[in-house]
Amino acid sequence: MLFTSVTFVFFIAVFFILYWYVLGGNLKLQNVLILTGSYIFYAWWDWRFLFLLASSSTLNFFLAIWIAKSKNEKYRGFLLWIGLCIGLGSLLFFKYFNFFVVSLVNAFRVFHIQSDIHTLNIILPLGISFYTFRSLSYLLDIKSEKIKPTTDWVVFYSYVSFFPCLLSGPIDRPKTLIPQLEKKRVFDYSQASDGMRQVLWGLFKKIVIADNCAALTNPIFEHYKFLPASSLLFAVFLFTIQLYADFSGYSDMAIGIASLLGFRITRNFNFPFFAQSIPDFWRRWHISLTSWLTDYVFTPLSIYFRDYGKAGLILAILINFTAIGIWHGANWTFITFGFLHGCFYIPSILRGTINRNKKNSRINGGRFSLSAFISMVATFMLLMLTFIIFRADNLARAFDYYSKLFSRSILYRFTITEKVNTIATLTAIVMMLCAEWLQQDKQHALQIDVIKRFPVRALIYFGLIFMILFFSPPTITDFIYFKF
Amino acid sequence: MKKPINRFLLKLLLFIMPVFVFFEVLFRLGFAPIVTDSTLFDLKMLAVQKHQVKNIKLLAMGSSITLYELNSDSMVQNFKLPYYNFASWGLQMADMNRLLNSLVKTNQPKYVVICSSFPDFVSPPNNSYLNYINANSFIKDDFPELFYFKNYNSIHQVIRRKFNTYPLSLDNWGGASLSDKLRNTNSEKWNEHDIFPTKYTPLNYKALDSLSTFLNEQKIKLIFVQVPIKKSYTNTDRSKQIISGHFDSCKSIVEGKGGIYLNYYNPTIFTDSLFIDQYHLQQAGSVILTSEIVADLKKIIKQ
Repeated sequence: MLFTSVTFVFFIAVFFILYWYVLGGNLKLQNVLILTGSYIFYAWWDWRFLFLLASSSTLNFFLAIWIAKSKNEKYRGFLLWIGLCIGLGSLLFFKYFNFFVVSLVNAFRVFHIQSDIHTLNIILPLGISFYTFRSLSYLLDIKSEKIKPTTDWVVFYSYVSFFPCLLSGPIDRPKTLIPQLEKKRVFDYSQASDGMRQVLWGLFKKIVIADNCAALTNPIFEHYKFLPASSLLFAVFLFTIQLYADFSGYSDMAIGIASLLGFRITRNFNFPFFAQSIPDFWRRWHISLTSWLTDYVFTPLSIYFRDYGKAGLILAILINFTAIGIWHGANWTFITFGFLHGCFYIPSILRGTINRNKKNSRINGGRFSLSAFISMVATFMLLMLTFIIFRADNLARAFDYYSKLFSRSILYRFTITEKVNTIATLTAIVMMLCAEWLQQDKQHALQIDVIKRFPVRALIYFGLIFMILFFSPPTITDFIYFKF
Repeated sequence: MKKPINRFLLKLLLFIMPVFVFFEVLFRLGFAPIVTDSTLFDLKMLAVQKHQVKNIKLLAMGSSITLYELNSDSMVQNFKLPYYNFASWGLQMADMNRLLNSLVKTNQPKYVVICSSFPDFVSPPNNSYLNYINANSFIKDDFPELFYFKNYNSIHQVIRRKFNTYPLSLDNWGGASLSDKLRNTNSEKWNEHDIFPTKYTPLNYKALDSLSTFLNEQKIKLIFVQVPIKKSYTNTDRSKQIISGHFDSCKSIVEGKGGIYLNYYNPTIFTDSLFIDQYHLQQAGSVILTSEIVADLKKIIKQ
């Protein structure tokens, strides 16, 4: 059930009515409804994997209680390890088993050893990376006594499977979501309206920008060998925008839908294209994942390696970013992508500027500086180039793409077949960037309460609705991050 | 609590209503929703919905061959059974297999007539037909406007399709005749020599087999009509061998599952002058063919 589907519109409409009109005021029943709705939402894709979700929740629910009850530190550690092994084990099996097998066979082949190991036909359960990380952070936080376990299984199961963020995040932490599930919720008009605006903004980004970019770039990436470098550059530019519009569009819709139900969930993007360096970019991109890995991977590693000074920090960063890469999928392209981004941190570590949080150039005194702009463009260009690896099916293809990209045909003209949609897409991209630039101090670009006159605001909303209806592409694609 | 939520829903409704009104106006103005890749199929299914075509006992199905070569007037005049031609451009046997599964449910026909030739066995199935097949009957029969939303129709595509399609008018029974305008639209395309068999031909034979089995199980008589082929297409030994192989394959599949196989490949009657390409007959040719088919069907169809 995609957020952009008619089925979901009916689902959320019925859910909303039941949630506020029928069960409003009854917290327990509202939570039961959230859990039921989340399971229906998940089962809509494949009901068989519901058992995996439910059993993972059951295991972690009891493990957390036992960890909290036990006074024996070794036993607590043992219970945590059980949770980690089973959680990461299922993730490794469903997501990485075939990758490891193929990599092993290839490694053997280097030494002229023929092996007869076969891959399995495994279906990747949707959202497994996201709900596993949610469960793991719950166990880790309880072990380190940051939070206390909930004894209400409905609350915990709802936390793991909360449908707005079940399939592609944001990866909410227990301390953010569980207290909200335990607290009585009252309908807040301004929060719901803001949620609806964020949903509209997400829809605009997904349908008008991301899906149109996908329609334009997919054929180019498929036939890149026969196209001029100028086409390839255009495709990389559009893909970079597509990835952001697709994922942040999803996140906006998820946050917006959660707001409709009275929840405030973790922000996932903070206008990453205005980042002035790669470290700055990662503070703004997929925030819930990067902060998760910072807390549970990078920080423990940097403490562990602290005796090695800058070398230790570099090692911790490289491991952390390789983990970010591999989290995206079982492919050497993602690992290389992550590792490469880790390498981009090295100059800042050596200069000692890694923790310098660059102030937003627009907000900082309201002045726009040329150097900030150049940094932004340079960061964007660097991102574009690394996203080639992210997009490619394998490394050989990525390198081949690079070799075609850096050729004289970069100056050739290229033809655009879908002129109307291309113009609409480029216009929408400009609109998105301008709106986000102007709204950098807000949670999302459509927080336009500063415009006091309602007709003006209504005109903006209808303008976006008009663009969504007028320029949606022939096919709406799945969200890219579903496969992660 | 109820007051703010009522205000919220009312405001939301005020934003959504104009969108629905807009699409309803678009629909009434004849800008049909895009359901599949096929303009004609969408147009036909809209006609089916508009005229509440149901309980068709004599159902014609197929590609452009059935559409143009089975003359509706002759069929209606000669048979008392409710008749409708569901054929559409480019349908492959695999598409017909899927569509018939759906159409049989709503019509419970007694006879299914398929006029066919090589082009129905050359391509993979078109998955966009699943958008129609899998749609809820409420959308198909009562509220086709919902297809705008279900299939994410962009308005500019809807408008473009309306103004960029071939001029085509269906008769009351879903049939059509080849007009001069259409014939002259792209003469090169109409005269090109298609490759047969292709890698998808076995898949389409399998679909014919599955379709024949399904109709046999439903106690529906399948009448498979092999239409004439232009003589100049069959002038080499290789072509003759391919044709004969195709005829044999279809005949054995259809008759093996209790269907009736009729073959009108006869270059003496259907001379090249009656064709506009290797498979499609001109209107005069289609009248001759239908009269022959009707004569044979009269022996088969019980009225």
